[in-house]
Order: sequence, then C-alpha cells, then structure tokens
Amino acid sequence: MILKNLILDSGNYYTTDLNTKKKRFWDPNRSKICAGLKKGINMLPITTDSKVLYLGSAEGYTISYISDLADNGVVIGVDISPISTQKFYLLCKERNNLLPILASANEPDSYKHLIDFKVDLIIQDVAQKNQVEILKKNADVYLKEGGFVILSLKTTAISQGKTENIINKEVEKFGKDFNIVEKKRLDPFEKKHILIIGKKK
Amino acid sequence: MTINRELFFKEAQEKIKEELNTTDQKIILYSLISEKLPKNINELFEQIRIITDLKYPTLDQYLTIEEYCNFLLDNSLEKLNTDKKKEIEKIISGEISITFDQNEQKLVDNFSKNILDLIVLKNDLDQEISNLLKENYPNFYLIATPKIASKMLQISGSIKRLAKMPASTIQLLGSEKSFFKALKLSKNTPKYGVLYNHEILFDLNKKNKAKMARMIANKISIAVKSDLNKNNVSADLYEKIIRKKEELLNLQKK
Ligand SMILES: C[S@@+](CC[C@H](N)C(=O)[O-])C[C@H]1O[C@@H](n2cnc3c(N)ncnc32)[C@H](O)[C@@H]1O
Repeated sequence: MILKNLILDSGNYYTTDLNTKKKRFWDPNRSKICAGLKKGINMLPITTDSKVLYLGSAEGYTISYISDLADNGVVIGVDISPISTQKFYLLCKERNNLLPILASANEPDSYKHLIDFKVDLIIQDVAQKNQVEILKKNADVYLKEGGFVILSLKTTAISQGKTENIINKEVEKFGKDFNIVEKKRLDPFEKKHILIIGKKK
Repeated sequence: MTINRELFFKEAQEKIKEELNTTDQKIILYSLISEKLPKNINELFEQIRIITDLKYPTLDQYLTIEEYCNFLLDNSLEKLNTDKKKEIEKIISGEISITFDQNEQKLVDNFSKNILDLIVLKNDLDQEISNLLKENYPNFYLIATPKIASKMLQISGSIKRLAKMPASTIQLLGSEKSFFKALKLSKNTPKYGVLYNHEILFDLNKKNKAKMARMIANKISIAVKSDLNKNNVSADLYEKIIRKKEELLNLQKK
C-alpha cells in the first residue's frame, strides 16, 4: 500500500507530521487503525485531499494521524464528551485541516448546518451498543456515492456473548449498506475488536 | 462546499463551556474526587504511623484518624469523647516508647496537618455535593441519598439520561458486569447495583432487600422526572418508602 504521508520502517508505522514535516511514530496500542495496519490491512481509503468525518474523535490521538495523511483535505471530528473535546479543540487549533464538533453521533442532523458537503470517508470508533446503526445514519447524510467507511467494532460494548457470534451479526448488518473491502481482528493490540473497511453500496 | 472554520470553533467553544458548567458535571466531578479520598487518607495514615507507632504503640486502635492526627498536633486528650481514656493514657505514658526529637516532631506535625486537610477537603466536597443535589434535585436527593444519587449521575452521565431510563435499569445501574455474567451462566440476575449500598436496605434480609430495591428504584424514577419538571412530591414518596420498610421489617421479625 502506498500512501503519501505513511511510512513503514522496520515493521513500525509513522506519518509525516502535517506541521513539522517530521516523521511521527504511530502507536498500534493506542490506535485501532494502526493496529489494523500492523495486522495486514492492505488498503486505507485515504488520499492527501480526502474529506473525512471521524466519529468518536476523543482527545484526538488517532485523528491527528488521519490529519497527517489527508494533509490537503478536511478532517472533522465528532465526540459527545466535553472533557475530551476540550483537548481535541486545542489540537484542531494547531492543525489547519482539523475541525471539532461536540455532539452525539447518534444525531447526525444536529451538525448538518456545519457540513454542507459529502465526505469521501467516515471513520467510526464510538464503542456504543448501536455502532453499526450510528455509522449508517451518518453515511446516509454525509457519505458520497461510492465513499468508504472504516468501523472499529468493540464487541464488548454490544453484548457479553461470544465474540464470533457478535461479529457475524454486526458484519451482516454492516453488509446491508456497505460492500466489505477488508476486515481484521485486532488482537493482540485490542482484544475483542474488529476493524472493518467498507464501500457504500 | 464551504467550510467556516470560525463557526466550528465558536460552536464547540460555547458547547464545551456550557456542558462543563452544569450542576450534573459538578456533582459528577466532585464525587469522583471524593470517593477516592478515603483511600488516600488511609494510605497517608499508614505512612505516618511508621513513625508514630514507635511513640504511641496501638494508639490507632482507640482513635479515629482525625482524632489521632489532632492528638499528634496538640498532645491533648481533653477534647476526646471516649471511654477508653485510661488505656490511652497508658499507651502515651512513654513506658516502652521512643521520644521524638525536634525534626521528627516537625515531620509528624506537617504530616498530620496534611492528613487533616484532606479530611476537611473530603467533608467540604461531600457537603457541596449534598447542597447541589438538595437545591437542584430535591426529590432525588431525598429518596436516593447524596451518596447513591451522585453515583447514579456518574454512571448515567446526567439527570436527563437517568430520567429516560426505566426503573428496572435504575435498579441495576452499576451492576452491568455482574448482570452480563449472570446472563451467561443463566443464574439469577442480580437485583441491584449501586442501590445495594442505600442505607435503607441495611437491616433487611436478602429477599426483602430485593423488594425494597425495586420499590426505591421506582420512586427514584418518579423523583428524577418530577425534579426535571420542578414538581414537588417528595414528602409523599418518602413516607411510602419508610412505611414499606417498616412493613418488611415487621414481616422479618415474625
Ligand atoms: C474508544 S474512544 C475513541 C478513541 C479514538 N478514536 C482514538 O483512537 O484516539 C470512544 C469515544 O467515543 C465517544 N462517544 C461515545 N458515544 C458517542 C456518541 N454517541 N457520539 C459521539 N461520540 C461518542 C466517547 O466520548 C469516546 O471519546
């Protein structure tokens, strides 16, 4: 896989920092997308001018790397926690392609007045019971035809049943709206997680 | 496509400030701090006793942490309210103890002050939590008690989310883990989460605890909704609970 600002060096992933242009280590133990890369994901659907909607931006760790990768694009982070968003807000001020929204991703219409365009990619990491439903709702409003989604599915947020069963059920739901491009379990970096990449049908 | 960066920041800024400044947030943060303080205080107390045990062996068995630290500072038993003065006097008589030199005394004084400060901080926080609940959610305050009410806010995130929950969820709040476990092993599901620590359940037997927990959860559900609508129903709800408890206790005695 070749991405302009992604560097693979001795088995570790780095990005080129948007501001300093220096090589920046991406920790697979802190970021599920990087864990997915380490587990052999072949394709990250991001280009340097991607427009990205990121649901569950938290304090901004992973999304800061996405902002490196889409350095000529726009990356918008949505999170429900005001405490996390306080920190993310400061990060956005330092990165001219990064923007904060404090809202629940469960209510995509509540930020419609801010986003009057379609995005190329929706990334979601919200650890909620209705993760797939949240993704669909947002894709309906914001994802362009043929756009991509990356979902980090935390099975323990859904139920305490057998991981395989939960994954099968959720992947089936996911498959109704998206063609599955790739999926990878994230052990040992994250237990009981799966990363799914899809393309809007 | 237009992106108004300023608008994003302006809205985020306003919302962050607004949401971090709510009564619920304050209660949640204060209770997060307050519930960890006893552990800090106990640990510091164990540390100071590494030295003070040498001068006053076993004194900690007769005094609360607060009394103990005050005694270290003023060396006076006058204010103490205990029937164990004789025993205490024996311990502090110096028969088998070391004496402190100036530096040790200074260390002990500073240490005691720090512990006493933390105790004051804990009491202040609890008082503030109580006041906030009483002022803003009087019914919830009365039915749930401040300790349980603040814990429920912590878990649910806000009074609004609590008001949306059915009573059965409120009854189990805080027991999610044990709940999942029970489902898996298909044993009896647990009857209560944080509600289990409600003082009104203390002297009830297992079966009655479950009954009482269900009733309180119901009343909390009503209380929370009426607080949000600024209705006043507390006296009535509370009396019902007390009556139910008496009823159950009477049945238990038979
Ligand atoms: C696992 S963390 C995300 C970590 C982040 N993606 C990273 O790798 O740096 C999950 C985040 O989802 C947020 N969240 C939970 N429910 C949400 C909702 N309904 N809408 C938006 N964000 C939500 C939480 O506040 C939390 O910050």
